[in-house]
Amino acid sequence: MTTTKTIAIVGATGNMGSAIAKSLAKSGTYRLLLMATEQDKLVTLKTELAKSTKAEVFTISCAREASWEADIIIVATPYEAEKEVADKIREVATGKIVISISNPLNSSYNDLVTSSHTSAAEELQKLLPYSKVIKTFNTTFAADFITPLIDGKTADAFIAGNNGDAVETVSEVVKAAGFNPIVAGDLSVSRTLERMQLLLIQLAMKNNYNWLAGWKILHNQV
Amino acid sequence: MYKQLTENIRERVNLSEKEEDSLKKYFMPKKIRKRQYILNAGDKCNYLTFVEKGLLRSFSTDDNGHEHVMQFALEGWWISDMASFLCGDDAIYNIEALEDSELLMLSLSSMDEMMERIPKMERYFRLLMQSNIIALQRRIRVVQTMSAEQIYLKLMEVNPEILNRAPQQHIASYMGITPETLSRVRKQVSSKK
Repeated sequence: MTTTKTIAIVGATGNMGSAIAKSLAKSGTYRLLLMATEQDKLVTLKTELAKSTKAEVFTISCAREASWEADIIIVATPYEAEKEVADKIREVATGKIVISISNPLNSSYNDLVTSSHTSAAEELQKLLPYSKVIKTFNTTFAADFITPLIDGKTADAFIAGNNGDAVETVSEVVKAAGFNPIVAGDLSVSRTLERMQLLLIQLAMKNNYNWLAGWKILHNQV
Repeated sequence: MYKQLTENIRERVNLSEKEEDSLKKYFMPKKIRKRQYILNAGDKCNYLTFVEKGLLRSFSTDDNGHEHVMQFALEGWWISDMASFLCGDDAIYNIEALEDSELLMLSLSSMDEMMERIPKMERYFRLLMQSNIIALQRRIRVVQTMSAEQIYLKLMEVNPEILNRAPQQHIASYMGITPETLSRVRKQVSSKK
């Protein structure tokens, strides 16, 4: 019997944070800690989750406390807030999996603020040198979590990271959220994943996908 | 956050300030709530767990569904399923928090790396294991040769804090007696005072 893992979602009341929280709660396989500073929204989210799940869900208003209790930490704050979060959780995130979901877009949505020699994920890894930063959920929109089946196909969710065991653990989280996990490579592949999403965001805006869009690799039968 | 660990290490080996500071990166700080499990039997035990604050117990369940407490772990104690941790076997023990606790968890790869980078830590663990073996030998003798009352008195002498903090049924299980026998023994012991 596998010991239930605890996942802390930092920024749980945001668009992505709440989407991830809802789909993981539905799967029932993880103990969830919802962390946000907006108390009212947090309580509303928890009440909503309690209706759809038997999983244990707790609310915490402190990122450090949530991360201390967690086995896996999902940083669901905007890219600009990541340094502040990292400073708060660094000590208690030692040895733990920290999931980077952000796409570091500029304000005009026509480029990333990171250079092509790095990525949001790698920058986070520098800030948390003793944590295992894994990139995922950056190529899945919030709406996709409600409907991971888009146009009849389960959307792929790419995973990049340097630690094999951590990548495997995160693949389980991705499956629990309803997506098809694809291990893309080591953490530096995040550079590609973040730029891929820049493209999808631009296409979504241009063609009115209504933010329900994703990626699917086509290939021959293996 | 590392107070108990540092003290525990200092009791056995002399680390420099730099070595003590560099220890932190090997341990995963984990807070758990009462009744939470850090290990379920059948799972793999990935950590040697050190208790900074709180109280844990490890136990196995027999074919009749009865629980047998292997050990308790208070502040400054280590707890694990050693065969699973060291050899990768499926764990036979469950490890449960009896109080809200703060733990420092050491994975095998972290332990190996730590011992390579800070060789004195090899000595620390060797000394720890030595005490552990002595304690286990003593405990087997206690359980094999002593009456319930004698075992209880031994516990009062060696580990009074466990008697104050752990629930009665778990203490009884640890002693290898029924809760009813424990109740009787406690009355006997207190009436003799």
